[in-house]
Amino acid sequence: MDDARGHDIVVEAAGLEKRFGRVTALAGLDLRVLRGEVHGFLGPNGAGKSTTIRVVLGLARASAGSVTVFDRNPWRDAVGLHARIASVPGDVSLWPNLSGGEAIDLIGRLRGGTADAAAYAARRARLIELFQFDPTKKGRAYSKGNRQKVALIAAFATPADLYVLDEPTSGLDPIMESVFDREIARVAGEGATVLLSSHILSEVEQLCDRVSIIRAGRTVETGTLAELRHLTRTEVSFEDSGAQVTAAQISAMQALPAVHGLRRAGGRIRFTVDSDAVARVLPALAALEVRGLVVEPPSLEELFLRHYGEGS
Amino acid sequence: MTVRALLLSAMRRDRITLAIWILGTALLALFAASAVGDTYGDTAERVGILRLAVDNPAILLLRGLPHGTTLAAFVFFQIFTWLALLAGLMCSFLAVRHTRAEEESGRAELIAATPAARTIPTVVALVHGVLAALVLGAAVAAALIAGGMPVRGSVVSGCATAAVAIAFLTTGLLAAQLARTSRGANTLGVATVCGAFLLRGLGDALGTPSADGAAMTSAWPSWLSPIGWGQHVFAYTDDDPRPLLLCLALAAACTAAVLVLQAGRDNGASLLPARAGRATARPRLRSSLALGWRLHWPTLVAWCAGGAAFGLFAGGLSEAVVQAADTDPDLAANLRSIVPSGGSVTQVLIAAMFALVGVIAAGSATQAVIRLRQEEAHGTAELLLSTPLGRVRWLGGYLVLGAVSILLVLLSGAFASVTAQVLTGGQDLGLSVAAAAAQLPASLLYLAVLALVFVLLPSATAALGWTLLGAGVFLGVFGGLLGIPQWARDLSPFTHTPVMGGSGVELGGAVWMLAIAATAASASLVLMRRRELRG
Repeated sequence: MDDARGHDIVVEAAGLEKRFGRVTALAGLDLRVLRGEVHGFLGPNGAGKSTTIRVVLGLARASAGSVTVFDRNPWRDAVGLHARIASVPGDVSLWPNLSGGEAIDLIGRLRGGTADAAAYAARRARLIELFQFDPTKKGRAYSKGNRQKVALIAAFATPADLYVLDEPTSGLDPIMESVFDREIARVAGEGATVLLSSHILSEVEQLCDRVSIIRAGRTVETGTLAELRHLTRTEVSFEDSGAQVTAAQISAMQALPAVHGLRRAGGRIRFTVDSDAVARVLPALAALEVRGLVVEPPSLEELFLRHYGEGS
Repeated sequence: MTVRALLLSAMRRDRITLAIWILGTALLALFAASAVGDTYGDTAERVGILRLAVDNPAILLLRGLPHGTTLAAFVFFQIFTWLALLAGLMCSFLAVRHTRAEEESGRAELIAATPAARTIPTVVALVHGVLAALVLGAAVAAALIAGGMPVRGSVVSGCATAAVAIAFLTTGLLAAQLARTSRGANTLGVATVCGAFLLRGLGDALGTPSADGAAMTSAWPSWLSPIGWGQHVFAYTDDDPRPLLLCLALAAACTAAVLVLQAGRDNGASLLPARAGRATARPRLRSSLALGWRLHWPTLVAWCAGGAAFGLFAGGLSEAVVQAADTDPDLAANLRSIVPSGGSVTQVLIAAMFALVGVIAAGSATQAVIRLRQEEAHGTAELLLSTPLGRVRWLGGYLVLGAVSILLVLLSGAFASVTAQVLTGGQDLGLSVAAAAAQLPASLLYLAVLALVFVLLPSATAALGWTLLGAGVFLGVFGGLLGIPQWARDLSPFTHTPVMGGSGVELGGAVWMLAIAATAASASLVLMRRRELRG
């Protein structure tokens, strides 16, 4: 399926709803993942990220709305679709008396990715080395980070067209996170599509081409990182030199259309300005001969916190 | 203060589990006391049975040492070793549950970071276990008194049960120090308790009969077993509590060892290292059925051993029971209450024993389905079903696994029975095989119905699975013995199991059960297509 601009769509969800009894987990969620992109799926805990992923994988059925993966219904065609999808669940549990190596092989074989035994063995050995993973321990002896590695190695050891990863780096240390980042870059370079859920913004900023932010089961923002940055404001502050800055000057600045939330606190005057209007504010600041001027670039953090903060 | 808080929390956590263990054990004591009184009220009859037992190592192995011909002494001979076995298992599980299992789950780390430190939780488990053992002992004594046994001997029996329980509490604590996982520690603990039971059985079977042939002095292996020590109080005859000092001495030695080991090791560490697994999977492990088999077979071995044990009983004891039934018409009546049949005593005995093999087969199938639910609840099913493995196929694999389990348990029983018959010169070998095959419909019915429960009411799978099985056994197998009305007994699948060997085998029930099983299995597969994965 293509969208209006001719992009190839891999995952498309529209008005997705999911209710568990009286609890509404998804309330009209929209999601569109394009072929070949790394799509960040951001939201606070409990926003419905895992539920969405379970619906996309066909493990749960949508109560209302539509969802397609590779133009097929994931609930009805789960088996056929899963041959093209590698996934990492949000909370990895392992079989207590199977070793990590056995679990990796079992998942790889069920996915049918081990037909070329030599290639599989090479990929597996490379990943075990990269992730510094001991495959001989029994499942119950692994820490959370190591259980996560089992699922990651199993996902990356067999080729796939779509990777669905639910908070894949939780429990990994920073070195392992960078190994993970390189693997994402590798599969994206090979043309695979990645849907990556996270509640850590910096991870998504580093890896993703496009981002969807959800809250309380709804999509609140979606777009490329550059598009989202446009929605954020630049923070400006300078020293409050008391007598030189008069009330009249303050109200003149406040009157500028792009300036928001001007306040005096802690010996500084602070305000935010729409990112595309920074240049228009600078003459006013120059006229004031301000000292200690700080202009902070827009951060997704702010946007993120703005959506997270609402209603909490 | 800390000890008190932890102790209260341990008791609260265990209140239902321990209540079931203690009530169950006490009910067994009560049932034995009242049933034996009804069945063997006559001294001459009892002497006859005791003489028969002394001649039969198998009976001694499974009962105890005959010592005295009074009704109460006869009850003690019949039931004490079983009470001691249950007490030992209860306390061994308790010990591991509050020590190694806590460490494994990481909860112990929370506690160890408080002023409770590392040793206090072990001490709390010890105190909690001793209290539970004392309550169990009191309950057994009360049950025996309620069953009409003399007070003094009943109190001695209760003390012996408690002392054995305390001994196995400390061996359990020791096992928890040694093994890395709670599963390993429980295996070690159960092996110790069952080993003690067998050691005692061996000593009793190899003992020396008294001059009148109605009593027995045990050989030395009995004196290596806490259950043997407990038995040697000979309640209702000698009432000698001194052997119990051995139990307490063992408990003191184990406690000292536990405290030394606990003081010298890290949280989570163990004396026996965790065994390393394979770095790569065997080629076989490539389907969910292969995975199910891999997870299920260790317990299946135990189910098959249970089936073989009853099979051995059926084949090996048939000659002895035929003799016993000649002198004791009630025995034959009891057997016929389990399986209504007009056949010979041998036929009835084999059918009755295989009814129990059938229960074990249904149990193994029940466990296979519960494993399926555990996979779902623990989240490992999500890993499987995110691969090109369909839900229906996943369920189908476990239905096959359950059916294979049933077959293997029944085959173990049949094989053991035929072997025992051949060795004891019994005849009619085909009867055991037919009796084993007759258990198939009821076992398959349990498998299929529970699979349907798993699809429709997943969270109830485990509870409903064991409840249905327990109710079926209670009504269908022991209902006749306990005087349950026929309409209630008819509710149990086991009631409708065909009885082989009698004149005119009634197969109608079997056909119905197979039809219901096939319908339930098909329905579960069809409905699974529409079922979501639920945590």
